Amino acid sequence: MTRADDIEVTGAGLEFEDRDLLRSVEDSGVGFRVASTLLGLVLLTVWVIFGRQILLGLGVTGLNQPVTWGFYIVNFVFFIGISHAGTLISAILRLSQAEWRRPITRMAEVITVVVLAIGAFHPMLDLGRPERALNIFTAGRLQSPLLWDVSSISAYFMASTVYLYIPMIPDIALLRDRGARPRWLYAFMAWGWQGTTRQQVVIERAVSILMILVIPIAVSVHTVISYIFAMTLQPGWHSTIFGPYFVVGAIFSGIAALMMVMIVLRRIFHLERYLKQVHFDYLSRLLLIMSLLWFYFTFSEYLTAFFGNEPAEMRVFFYKVTGPYAPFFWSMVAANFLVPVVILSFRRTRTIPGIFIASACIVVGMWLERLNIVVPSLANPRLPLPTGYYIPSLVEWVMFAGGIATFILGFVIFARFFPLISVWEIQEGRRLSIAETTERLEGYLPDSLPSSAAQTAAEES
Amino acid sequence: MERYEEPKWIFGLQVASVAMMWVFVLSISAWILHLLRLSHRLHDVPSASVGISIVAIPVFLMGAAVLTYVFVGLRRGREAPVEMSIEPEEG
Repeated sequence: MTRADDIEVTGAGLEFEDRDLLRSVEDSGVGFRVASTLLGLVLLTVWVIFGRQILLGLGVTGLNQPVTWGFYIVNFVFFIGISHAGTLISAILRLSQAEWRRPITRMAEVITVVVLAIGAFHPMLDLGRPERALNIFTAGRLQSPLLWDVSSISAYFMASTVYLYIPMIPDIALLRDRGARPRWLYAFMAWGWQGTTRQQVVIERAVSILMILVIPIAVSVHTVISYIFAMTLQPGWHSTIFGPYFVVGAIFSGIAALMMVMIVLRRIFHLERYLKQVHFDYLSRLLLIMSLLWFYFTFSEYLTAFFGNEPAEMRVFFYKVTGPYAPFFWSMVAANFLVPVVILSFRRTRTIPGIFIASACIVVGMWLERLNIVVPSLANPRLPLPTGYYIPSLVEWVMFAGGIATFILGFVIFARFFPLISVWEIQEGRRLSIAETTERLEGYLPDSLPSSAAQTAAEES
Repeated sequence: MERYEEPKWIFGLQVASVAMMWVFVLSISAWILHLLRLSHRLHDVPSASVGISIVAIPVFLMGAAVLTYVFVGLRRGREAPVEMSIEPEEG
């Protein structure tokens, strides 16, 4: 018998029916140890290879002149984009009081924190002498958009971590009181939570401030990342719509990644009672809208370049559309637009397996989009140089695998110590949502006529 | 289910964590201010870069202030326990 079964929990006269949500913490079993060991070994290998890269320099990668940015920067932009899944979507759903958000927000917020850490590390991989990054503390130049990235990503990371942590406090206290180990850690992180009215007000107020704070920060982060490209005069990069284009792409890939994570975790932890078809249905409609929006931005971006017919721009344009990058470009269009629109538009295909396929296509397609942005412009510089080429080395592929392994390990470790779905929000939903939603719906409806006017209207009819 | 009685050292650890967070946030603010002074001395491009960088400081301060508010608010709100849905009780 597990510890979870030993302790029969009741609260407010209700049976504690959400023990499934704590199973990953209280009954982690062999699965956790096997998964964390395997992923740990992968990461160990990655660190050894990174150490070798530091010793030998960037010559072990496929980077060269003029293509000085490759997989590392592609993955940096990609991972930071995925991070928009979480805090931004969670904040928007909370702000709009979407009741169906309750089982989703925690997972979304975890994605943000884990992926931001992975993405932010990637520029370090791209440095031949990583220790020189420390120079930004003494001699950083604020005129560089790269430094804007450092400040905006670190601000977003801090805000997202706080935004993940504060709504977790009641659940952490629940684990503390249930005797989960290490108990001192839960006691430390619960900050004396007892569930008093005053404490609830404090948490609600803090979450309200944070959800308003993180939305502009999240938008600013990917806008600033687009500035790394758009503030240069490189063909294919110098575009005024790059800011919103990157933000749309980030939200798009973020929702797709969130759906994939939800589907996988639902299966592994048997969360079918919580993550229902309706949640996937709503998110997939949002994904469909984002797919159309992404296509609109892509079409506008390339059509403008094509009509301008500026020679340097056209070299990049044809490099992507009919040249060496054509397979990647058209795969991107298929994966980000054609496949998801076909799958998500029809009820028959908008099933959970269908949504998973569409989401996986979008994640791959958005990675291809980042590749299509970074490499072709560098391979065709404005300077009179021969066309460059870039073939990633095994080292870069291993680092990419390391990023994905870190993402999975982040979730494995989180699930071992904290519930993946917010227990208190689910319970609050059960108690309060129906009354609140009914009241809100009644508020939307036209006001009833006063009784005397209604009587007159009835007599007239 | 019995309520967990916190050892005193946990409270000390919590206070230390809040203090460390403020040290971290104030250090970042000082760093950004240092870079602003540097950019002024080197006659770097002012306006936008300065504006964008300066925005980061209130964000960090706001984050730290919210966490401090939560920490203090939760400690002060401990006295009067009432019925709470997620806090399982005996019985």
